[in-house]
Amino acid sequence: MKITIYHLYPTLMNLYGDRGNILTLLKRSEWRGIEVIVKEIGLNDPIDLKEADILFMGGGQDKEQERVAIDLVAKGPFIKEAVEDDLVGLTICGAFQLFGKYFLTGEGKELKGIEIFDAYTEAGNRRLIGNVIVDCRELTKNWGWEIFRATLVGFENHSGKTFINPQSGKTEEEQTLPLGYVTKGFGNNGQDRTEGAVYKNLFGTYLHGSLLPKNPWLADHLILTALQRRYGTDFEFPQLDDNLEYKAHETAIKRAYTAKTSYL
Amino acid sequence: MRKFLAILVGKLLIFISRVLKVGGGSALPGLVAEKIDPNILKKLTQKFSSGSIIITGTNGKTTTAAILASILKAAGKNVVHNYTGSNLTRGLNSTLIEKASFFGKIKADIGLFEVDEATIPEAALKIQPRAIIILNLFRDQLDRYGELEKTKDLIGRGIFLSPGSQVILNADDPLVASLKEDAKREVLFFGVENETYTQKEQHFHSADSLDCPRCGQEFLYTAKFFGHTGKYQCLKCGYTRPTPQVKVQQLKLWGMEGSDMAIEVQGTTLELKNTIAGFYNVYNILAATAVAFSLEIPLEVIKRGVESFSSAFGRLEKIKIGSKNLYLLLIKNPSGFSEVVETLVADSKPKSLLIALNDNFADGTDVSWIWDTNLELLKNHYRFITVSGIRAYDMVLRLKYADLAGNIDIEENLETAVQKSLEKVEDGEYLYLLPTYTAMLDIRNWLTKKGIVLPFWKIK
Repeated sequence: MKITIYHLYPTLMNLYGDRGNILTLLKRSEWRGIEVIVKEIGLNDPIDLKEADILFMGGGQDKEQERVAIDLVAKGPFIKEAVEDDLVGLTICGAFQLFGKYFLTGEGKELKGIEIFDAYTEAGNRRLIGNVIVDCRELTKNWGWEIFRATLVGFENHSGKTFINPQSGKTEEEQTLPLGYVTKGFGNNGQDRTEGAVYKNLFGTYLHGSLLPKNPWLADHLILTALQRRYGTDFEFPQLDDNLEYKAHETAIKRAYTAKTSYL
Repeated sequence: MRKFLAILVGKLLIFISRVLKVGGGSALPGLVAEKIDPNILKKLTQKFSSGSIIITGTNGKTTTAAILASILKAAGKNVVHNYTGSNLTRGLNSTLIEKASFFGKIKADIGLFEVDEATIPEAALKIQPRAIIILNLFRDQLDRYGELEKTKDLIGRGIFLSPGSQVILNADDPLVASLKEDAKREVLFFGVENETYTQKEQHFHSADSLDCPRCGQEFLYTAKFFGHTGKYQCLKCGYTRPTPQVKVQQLKLWGMEGSDMAIEVQGTTLELKNTIAGFYNVYNILAATAVAFSLEIPLEVIKRGVESFSSAFGRLEKIKIGSKNLYLLLIKNPSGFSEVVETLVADSKPKSLLIALNDNFADGTDVSWIWDTNLELLKNHYRFITVSGIRAYDMVLRLKYADLAGNIDIEENLETAVQKSLEKVEDGEYLYLLPTYTAMLDIRNWLTKKGIVLPFWKIK
């Protein structure tokens, strides 16, 4: 079995350790005997997601994000089509924002996103920084396999405030829902306690850390879902020894309560 | 009156903190003093006959300042220097208050200060330094600074606020070199010309600024040193690496043993042989030489100063413990950590390592940065790795995903970790300790309490 990860803008959107997510997906697949190919897509590169199993895009600095926004919007319709076709994806921070409807800058300029997440972001006037604990039980309640604790741990650092638009009248499947609710930290906007977003198999979050190493259950969910999409359900997907991962996860939880964070 | 009170209280706090062994008094005294007299920094630095030097940048401040201090001493100058690396204004003030008389007189010719990047505007304005040198700008502690552009702008502000200062810039770092526009005066550039140690094609992505700061086009590099430093040019707007006036023409690195280099300045060549390891330290030596040159210190004196230098506080610091040796190599950010690792694996001898990762305020509270570091290089180059610190498990995870297996132990308690690791080291051999900042301070404090290391205030 083979899994192909498409990494969007690896040199421009690589702000803070988000590469660790690619590494986690790669290793957790390899350790199960699954071959992994990572394809890098940059500015002006054509995009054909037929071969893609997982799409990943990390965060970047404001300057880089503006440049990428224009290129991403051009690639937008192809990505949207693939996500509608259940493509698995993970977007962090700036990428998460760009996969929404728009970003409203401090000067009132509206940067269009690729409109996959039913969400928008507006510039805030303070940095939302610190360790985060996210409660994802609502999200994972119907996933059908045992998750001991559906919490995510990570570190957020953003001034943008993202608001998700869950809409009545649509089924859960058609909606953009939060990834979870913050027990510690600010989350999407510091107001409604939501963190991140999920639409079909596309995930978005503000969590660095990197996200996946300390939250192996999410990494495995992405890999498993991607494999099932391509190969059906008739294959072995063994559990890995995640003792170290969970010890790191516990430390992060502890530090969310004890560490002092300060910002400029 | 304010000044007197500030100094009095400051000195009292320094005394108390040392007697009670609650710290070295390198930050709190200064903090309280500046609350009493907000202009204390200006008042205490006004009267140096040779003015002050400010050194800033992401990596290398402490080492560059220490090398420069060695050169200045060789030149017979009396220096006030915040050598422990306490580099916010409170740190500068603590250093000055300690050296000052109760009435604010300091017996020194020159002030030498490493200054935290975000503190540059205030420090430059109050000190009005004779020279300000910027070493590099790498991604570091994003939870404190936000973004690289903002950091560069802060430094630019500082340069603008001290119009009389000589500005000295790293030509090989495009972001730093672009500060010339903010300088609006003649700038002294330093850089490496020799291309022996350039990166191969597929190097790890710890680069941050690969684009032209003027027009945003991606740079073409004819040679890359590390991170985003190298020889660059923009094919769109023509912005090119400036020719450095102080440059390394010959270079030979000897792994952990040090290096030989030839620096050309104004047509003359200065040959230096030193014991400070690593390519990143070539820049620190070069930078210190550039400052010394701008101060018109004769080349033979510079040579003496550099060659008699051994290490800075907690950076490549060698400490003897019984029959064994400890080698402290501070780690702070992806480029710094990657460079330390590259230096460690440069020779074929497997190393005994202790990595200590903390996430306190001074270490950076977001440990994401370890995932941007090229630890894969350690494969087959280590005897054992002990992992310690508050976030030991994060580091162990990083090593696991770097496919490093076997001989990796976790011991969260730092002192126990050092003891256990030393037991596994042969007599006469080295334990290489890679701590983040507060872990480094904890280790030094512990060694000081055991009498192995002199308390840092007794060294000078």
